[in-house]
Amino acid sequence: MIHVRDLQKYYDDLSRGRQVALSGISFDAHEGEIFGLLGPNGAGKTTALRILATLLRPTGGTATINGYDVVKHPAQVRHEIGFVSAGTAVYDRMTAWEMVAYFGGLYGLADDVLAERMEGIFSRLQMNEFRDVLGGKMSTGMKQKVSIARAIVHDPPVIILDEATSGLDVLVARALLQTVMQLRDQGKCIVYSTHIMREVEKLCDRVAIVHKGEILASGTLEEVRQRHGEQDLEELFFQLILGNEQGGLRRTDQRPEADEQETERAGA
Amino acid sequence: MLNKQMHWKNVKLVLLREIRDQLRDRRTIFMIAVLPVFFYPLLGLALFQVTHFLQKSNSKVLIVGHQSVSGGPNLIEDGRFSSEFLSDDAKELVDLLELEFRAASHDHEAAGLPTAEEKAWQQAVASGEVQAVVYFPPDFAERMEEYRAAVKQRFERPREATDPLPELPHPLFVYDSGKEKSALAYNRVARVLSSWAHAVGRQNLRESQIPEAVASPKAYDSRDLAAESGGGDARLWAKILPFILVIWAVTGAFYPAVDLCAGEKERGTLETLLSSPAARSDIVIGKLLTVMAFSMTTAILNLVSMGFTGLLVLHQLQQMPGFNGPAGMGMPSLSAVFWLLVVLVPVSALFSAICLALAAFARSTKEGQYYLMPVILITMPLIVLPMSPAVELTLGTSLVPVTGIVLMLRGLIEGTFWQEWPLAIPVIVSTFVYCYLAVRWAVDQFNSEKVLFRAADRFSLGAWMRHLFRDRQATPSVQMAILCGTLILLLRFFMGLAMPGITGDFGFADFAKIAVISQLVVILTPALLMTVMLTRSPRKTLLLDLPHWGAVPAAILLALMAHPWVIALQQLVTTLYPMQKLEGLERMFDGAPNIWWILLVIAVLPALCEEIAFRGFILSGLRHLGHRWRAITISALFFGVSHGILQQSIIATFVGCLIGYLAVQTGSVWTGVAYHMVHNSLAVLASKLKEPESWPQWLRDRIDGEQLLEILVWQIGPDTEIYSPWIMLPTALVGAGLLFYFHQLPHYKSDEEALQESIDAESGKVLVS
Repeated sequence: MIHVRDLQKYYDDLSRGRQVALSGISFDAHEGEIFGLLGPNGAGKTTALRILATLLRPTGGTATINGYDVVKHPAQVRHEIGFVSAGTAVYDRMTAWEMVAYFGGLYGLADDVLAERMEGIFSRLQMNEFRDVLGGKMSTGMKQKVSIARAIVHDPPVIILDEATSGLDVLVARALLQTVMQLRDQGKCIVYSTHIMREVEKLCDRVAIVHKGEILASGTLEEVRQRHGEQDLEELFFQLILGNEQGGLRRTDQRPEADEQETERAGA
Repeated sequence: MLNKQMHWKNVKLVLLREIRDQLRDRRTIFMIAVLPVFFYPLLGLALFQVTHFLQKSNSKVLIVGHQSVSGGPNLIEDGRFSSEFLSDDAKELVDLLELEFRAASHDHEAAGLPTAEEKAWQQAVASGEVQAVVYFPPDFAERMEEYRAAVKQRFERPREATDPLPELPHPLFVYDSGKEKSALAYNRVARVLSSWAHAVGRQNLRESQIPEAVASPKAYDSRDLAAESGGGDARLWAKILPFILVIWAVTGAFYPAVDLCAGEKERGTLETLLSSPAARSDIVIGKLLTVMAFSMTTAILNLVSMGFTGLLVLHQLQQMPGFNGPAGMGMPSLSAVFWLLVVLVPVSALFSAICLALAAFARSTKEGQYYLMPVILITMPLIVLPMSPAVELTLGTSLVPVTGIVLMLRGLIEGTFWQEWPLAIPVIVSTFVYCYLAVRWAVDQFNSEKVLFRAADRFSLGAWMRHLFRDRQATPSVQMAILCGTLILLLRFFMGLAMPGITGDFGFADFAKIAVISQLVVILTPALLMTVMLTRSPRKTLLLDLPHWGAVPAAILLALMAHPWVIALQQLVTTLYPMQKLEGLERMFDGAPNIWWILLVIAVLPALCEEIAFRGFILSGLRHLGHRWRAITISALFFGVSHGILQQSIIATFVGCLIGYLAVQTGSVWTGVAYHMVHNSLAVLASKLKEPESWPQWLRDRIDGEQLLEILVWQIGPDTEIYSPWIMLPTALVGAGLLFYFHQLPHYKSDEEALQESIDAESGKVLVS
């Protein structure tokens, strides 16, 4: 579904010079799986996901979604994904229904298909009671539901969620996580970025721990735990990040992943 | 096909959404609809009230010493000014002037004023007790008699009259122009008094038995054609309407544009929209159409509201007594309104696109609103300029954005347009080009992640300079290239101001001095300095590598082949834009020691300096745009404009495109240097060729100049000569062959160009599949 290889992104900053947002990350995510990007703020998660959503162009490396390259086929890639992030707000002067219908239209859905699908989504996400409420009048939880509905209205195979639970209360966050799991069970490929360990533990089938634009560890939660000999995810996380900051701990997964990359290239 | 439909479907979706969104926004509705609908009637009402006040309020006037006025027509009757000598439209004034009388104190000095009294009047005027004071000196009547007697005597015995006429006595008028009411009283009393003075004059003439007409002969009869055809209104409308149209088209475009772009960015919905599969261009076009709709609606509503209010107020004013404003101003003609609406479309398209691009650039609505003022400031001269009667629609003005179209509109309203209709073509074409460029710019803004995710960088000049040096690349960036071009143009402009003009004794030495300075200082130095400071590889930036072995000879041959065509182009340009003959220029080369010096200054030096700057630094930077021809064209435009004289600039732009192409295809500046050198040399040699008497002896011995010229030159107009077809056609064929040679050379692509090509190729594949 998603293949990311050596993805790099640099910014030119006036005072600090060239800033590395991503220094060559690689990962794969498959259908029917939730892939977690776990990292502190500023780790490069949002940059990586924005590149996948074709909002940013990478400085180097490649990323393909369902076979489409994010640089060469941005329009096709956008058809394949649903993207929800802290930056994707809802329109203040549009109702929930209008908002989802608008994006359904932009995804090229025919009116009858769209109406049918929207009815389904609105009842599944329990959005019917506020379908005619304007965005400006919605609570954070309602807005997040509209965003999810907007992102899945075209039934994309890939869903990208960037810090999707930030600002939500416990109840709404829990409901959202359940929705995400349902989507996984429908066979979607979900990339889920967060800085909250508990969400990762609960949700993710595989995870990559990101810090300063690098992947420090990746694999299933079990694999990562065993590789680093630490059962507590939070402890593990701190050790990795501390190690990376001191430069003492080397990335342990560098070789296997590079090998995997090479074999895939050879296969291709 | 499917793809096309998708496009328009998305554009429509975006358009409908944006319009609904704007209509749900109270601020927009207020700006677009409520303000114009209520503003003009309110303004009109206020204006009406003011005029009403001016027309109806009474003025109190203190008349001092009126007893001394006697003889001649009566000034005062029953405690008011007499109306018998007033013209009909001024008769109402009498009712508006309340008079108060006071006898003049007689203990004054003969020449001066009674100062105590004068102070009292000043106070009366200052306190608003009265609005004006008219003082008749006590000897007024006597002096009037004297004057009359003198006039009469002079008429009866003209030969004896040698003394100068005594001064005609006149009253003193005290008022305060700083006070509205006092100024009004002054105007009214002044009208009465001057009418009265005329009446006195007429009476004097009558008594002297001179016909009145002697003093005021009728100068002419007039018949205004416009009064019959309504053309007088046309002249006024032709100035007012375009102005209002453009100003409101800008304002009406600006606020929605800011809300649609900067506002979306601020509210975080832009990222949502951009992650949808709608193409950036679909989104921009949809938003553009929305902005245009609002721009046009605002302009039309303003025009309509203003028109109706204006008519109503005028109508009311005309009902009023003593009104002397623009009488009989009617509605603009139907055709004027029609053309106004037609022109509104491109005008609002242009401004909508500009506003949209600016708004997309802005980080927040607040930042967006800062940009309104500069837009208005730049637009203003473009609208005010065509209002001047001296500015007419010519090929030159037709190409100026906004100005061209406003001039065309003026011509359409005044009805003079049909005499100059061929100029509509450049106006329409250039307007389309400007609209396209503005839309393109807006789309580029939406494609630029730097603009869309622009963080608030703390800007400091020092940090920026360090950044430029520290993070410099092998070749300059697009911005640096544009900066270099702009710098060269600025330097050129200032050098033009500093250099002496061409005068009679302007010789070759002066010319050479200016040419050398302008090449070395204005063109070469900025490019070299920027190369050294801002790039890591001068060799790559300035294309210093040698080209493929055949390239230089091919370029020289191409320049030779292009020469007849350049001459033809030159003739075409000078026919379109006639050139002023510069007297000094003719003899400029006379002082040169020999032809080689001329070629050094005119051909070798510019070829080196200009190629290094324009095809080196500037073109290398612009190639990061990702579009080869766009880079070539922009660098050629800089090259063209740097020539300073319009006619030369046009030709230089074309030649710049050709040389730019050679530089790109061969990856070397030397091909361009060779071409440029030959091109410039030929210009000098061709002028020598036309004067066989100036040929060197050995050539004259071998070739008959006159005969050769007859074969070579084809006279197609009185001042227009081009090469004969026998030369033009073969050179075109060989030239085309040479261009093909350059076309098939393997050439270097910038990273951006390579990426763009692969994107184009891939999207082509997707479309096919």
